[in-house]
Amino acid sequence: MPLANTATSVPVVVDEGKCIADKGCTVCVDVCPLDVLRISDLTGKAYMKYDECWYCMPCEADCPTGAVTVNIPYLLK
Amino acid sequence: MDDIRSGLSEVECDVLVIGGGTAGPMAAYKARKKNPEATVILLEKANVKRSGAISMGMDGLNNAVIPGHSTPEQYTKEITIANDGICDQAAVYKYAQNCYSIIQELDQFGIRFQKDETGEYDVKKVHHMGTYVLPMPNGDTVKKALYRQLRRMRVLISNRFMATRLLTGKRGRAAGAIAVNTRSGEFLVIRAKAVIMCMGAAGRLGLPTSGYLFGTYENAANSGEGYAMAYHAGAKLANLECFQINPLIKDYNGPACAYVAGPFGGYTANSRNERFIECDYWSGQMMQEFYNELMSGKGPVFLKLNHLHEDTANHIEQILHTVERPTRGRFHDGRGTKYARDMIEMHISEIGFCSGHSASGVYVDEFARTTIPGLYAAGDMASVPHNYMLGAFTNGAVAGEDAIDFAAEVDFDDYDGEAIAVERERVLAPTRREDGIPPNQIEYKIRRLVNDYLQPPKVTKKYEICQARLAEVREDMENAMVARDAHELMRAAEVASILDCADMAAFASLFRQESRWGLYHWRVDHPERDDEAWNCHVLLSKMDGAMSCEKRAVQPYIIPIADDEKDAYYNQRVRAQA
Amino acid sequence: MTLQPFENFSDVEDLAVGLTDDDPAVRRVTVMELADTAAPEAIAHIGNALKDGSAEVRLQAAIALGEFDGAETAAALTIGLQDSDLRVAQAAADSLAEMKDPQAAVPILPLTQHESALVRAGALRGLKELRNPDALASGLKALSDPEPEVRVQAIGVVAYLKPDEALPALIGRCRDTSPEVRRTAVGALAFSASPHVADALIGALRDEDWAVRETAAEVLGRSGFRQAVDPLMVKLDDAFWQVRLKAVRSLGQLKAAKAVHAIAPALNHQIGNLRKEAAAALGEIADGAALVYLEKLVDDADPDVRKNVRWALSRIAG
Repeated sequence: MPLANTATSVPVVVDEGKCIADKGCTVCVDVCPLDVLRISDLTGKAYMKYDECWYCMPCEADCPTGAVTVNIPYLLK
Repeated sequence: MDDIRSGLSEVECDVLVIGGGTAGPMAAYKARKKNPEATVILLEKANVKRSGAISMGMDGLNNAVIPGHSTPEQYTKEITIANDGICDQAAVYKYAQNCYSIIQELDQFGIRFQKDETGEYDVKKVHHMGTYVLPMPNGDTVKKALYRQLRRMRVLISNRFMATRLLTGKRGRAAGAIAVNTRSGEFLVIRAKAVIMCMGAAGRLGLPTSGYLFGTYENAANSGEGYAMAYHAGAKLANLECFQINPLIKDYNGPACAYVAGPFGGYTANSRNERFIECDYWSGQMMQEFYNELMSGKGPVFLKLNHLHEDTANHIEQILHTVERPTRGRFHDGRGTKYARDMIEMHISEIGFCSGHSASGVYVDEFARTTIPGLYAAGDMASVPHNYMLGAFTNGAVAGEDAIDFAAEVDFDDYDGEAIAVERERVLAPTRREDGIPPNQIEYKIRRLVNDYLQPPKVTKKYEICQARLAEVREDMENAMVARDAHELMRAAEVASILDCADMAAFASLFRQESRWGLYHWRVDHPERDDEAWNCHVLLSKMDGAMSCEKRAVQPYIIPIADDEKDAYYNQRVRAQA
Repeated sequence: MTLQPFENFSDVEDLAVGLTDDDPAVRRVTVMELADTAAPEAIAHIGNALKDGSAEVRLQAAIALGEFDGAETAAALTIGLQDSDLRVAQAAADSLAEMKDPQAAVPILPLTQHESALVRAGALRGLKELRNPDALASGLKALSDPEPEVRVQAIGVVAYLKPDEALPALIGRCRDTSPEVRRTAVGALAFSASPHVADALIGALRDEDWAVRETAAEVLGRSGFRQAVDPLMVKLDDAFWQVRLKAVRSLGQLKAAKAVHAIAPALNHQIGNLRKEAAAALGEIADGAALVYLEKLVDDADPDVRKNVRWALSRIAG
């Protein structure tokens, strides 16, 4: 069966003005237990690539610049 | 990142620890500490800094056996009773004797336990017989403190490698493991003289009622690989029918931690503001009472704090919103819930395997040894009942110290080289397809079937239907699952573990033809506890390629339990149902 | 074969070059990388970052030093504690509180005399866990500090060392102007069985602040002061049920048979917690006089109360 692309809203939001991933920081990507964050080739900033979030918060707690916010996934909020 | 590359490396070590959550780091640390000459590898699917059930720490210990507050004998007795008598006491007793020294060691690591104004541990009373709750005010830093110790101890840490199968040697011993990199699909073969599995609960077994696949009670990374790998290696697994089901904040699906609120005077209430739980302890009996109340006209169930002084309620709120599941605060904010004013609606979790809260796990003795020589298990996936975080630390330490001695006595056991090629093909199969069914859809279907058919109350016919449906899904998984990048490949490998666990949950539950452990194993067509026939463990294992169950006698008690004590929890249940 | 399966950290000196980068964000990332090495050689470099021109870098350094221990780390953190940026000072105070090595006390001690109350409080908070006897004099001196937060921390430094000679000073703090200081001082007296301590705790039962009264009621039972039975019985009428609850519990611990009739009304309180505690206390006292009260509660609506009543009845019977 062929695959489709279905839209989904993701709970983790990154403030690109504060994110310093382009300076070599990978903290949020490193600490995510589900490995769902990546650094964008386009912007050099972190973003949530996969909608597989446990809303556990290390990405937000360990971000040195306060750029990451973890929201409650829509289905359960 | 995430593009699939082909690659295969091989490394060797004395002791391989799989899983860097709670038990794993302690096992690796203790192994190196006991033998600084030895090579110890710690393999972790995520990153040791923030992995496992306690990625954001824990708000307290709820089974701390501290001199002056409780005794090992008292604790062993309580766990035996809470577990309806099915308990090999040696491991529980050993835990109870060792855990205080582990607390002191964790304290030295920089993990703080609440102290009173004179610097003594501020133990809170929750249970009737003993006192076991010790809050952790900076519990959110647990993982960082552990990581620091691992770095100092020069443990070799291997992050983002997911173990998929154990290697067993020609002499029948553990010989290592095969792992795949979750960001590149490259393989790593680790040869080892001893292997310690600390891979956590099977937390992605049932589907949360929100329908969100990753909104589980357990850390969603804990998808049950440990159970599946132990099974395929031929180890025996104990009492898998004793499911984990926990009381949780509805929809958020995280713990409301009545044991944190308890010492402050908070409690679980029904919609009439009345307390209804007879049983202090998180046991199957307590969950049965919880379930009954939910289903009754007096439901739903709430955590009640709004009778407390506003300062006290706010203090509890502050604890619960900082540690373990800190997004609790955000969830309540979103709905405008304040502890000082509102009761918090609660529900029961999806099912899982987790000895941390129940008793389902890889069968181990008091040295954390499994039934395969050189293979150990500790933490949520090992069969020591009601272990919680401190049990993971303590038994992880036991495993590390025993395994390092074992490794000193033996040489590498040779494994069949063909096994690696076969395993690589099994794991990579979803990447060989152009289209098909993605892992998330297969996972959703398995877990939806688990909810529809396996969640208690357990009905024989429903279980048999489930087995047939799961077999169909297995066909799809083996022949049509597709993974487009390394990340999806990790999810695909997890789905195989989830399906194995679902099959084991069904098989073990059908074998035990009685009801026991309250809600955990409530078989509607065998509603009574039958001590004549079933006062024993049920061990599940792979025999000639297929699932098989056997009875195993409970070891003679070290701490005797009087008849009237034995039925303490049971009587409460009967009374509550009457 | 390119696969590198193990965490691998570059040499500390190579990493430290990043601290000279023009971009503060790069310097910040460098501080985090240095901390991850867990190597003692990294302490000096991170300490230098506490003198960085960018407050963000200093903040990162103050956090990072919490991952290390010992006198060198503490000395570096004393600089952070005096930082003009409050976030940096706060982070340094938090990191100082993570120290375990008693030698870390040496560089911290002078800061207990610092002109800033924030620094003094942070220094004392760090000293508390170290339990270094050399800190006793500083702790005692700071008991009369003008700032309540400093006095609270000073009580901790002194009480963790549990010296009998400090009792008069601690007892003095039970009459402090700040309720938080009084509550902390009352709790701190738990290490001593001296009759002077009992007098002070009994006095604190009349404190105007309910949390002070609650703590005093609790400590009196825990420390086994029999002379507290009468004053605790008076507290069974306290305006706050939280105080009554602790008084009940302590009377149980003290096995105060004469209190049975005074405790009994608490069995009828609308708050289940108090009924439960009263039943448990009557069980601990185990005096036959309680039977008539307990038997009325066998069918209480609250299962926790019922359970404690059953337990109490079995204690009295056996």
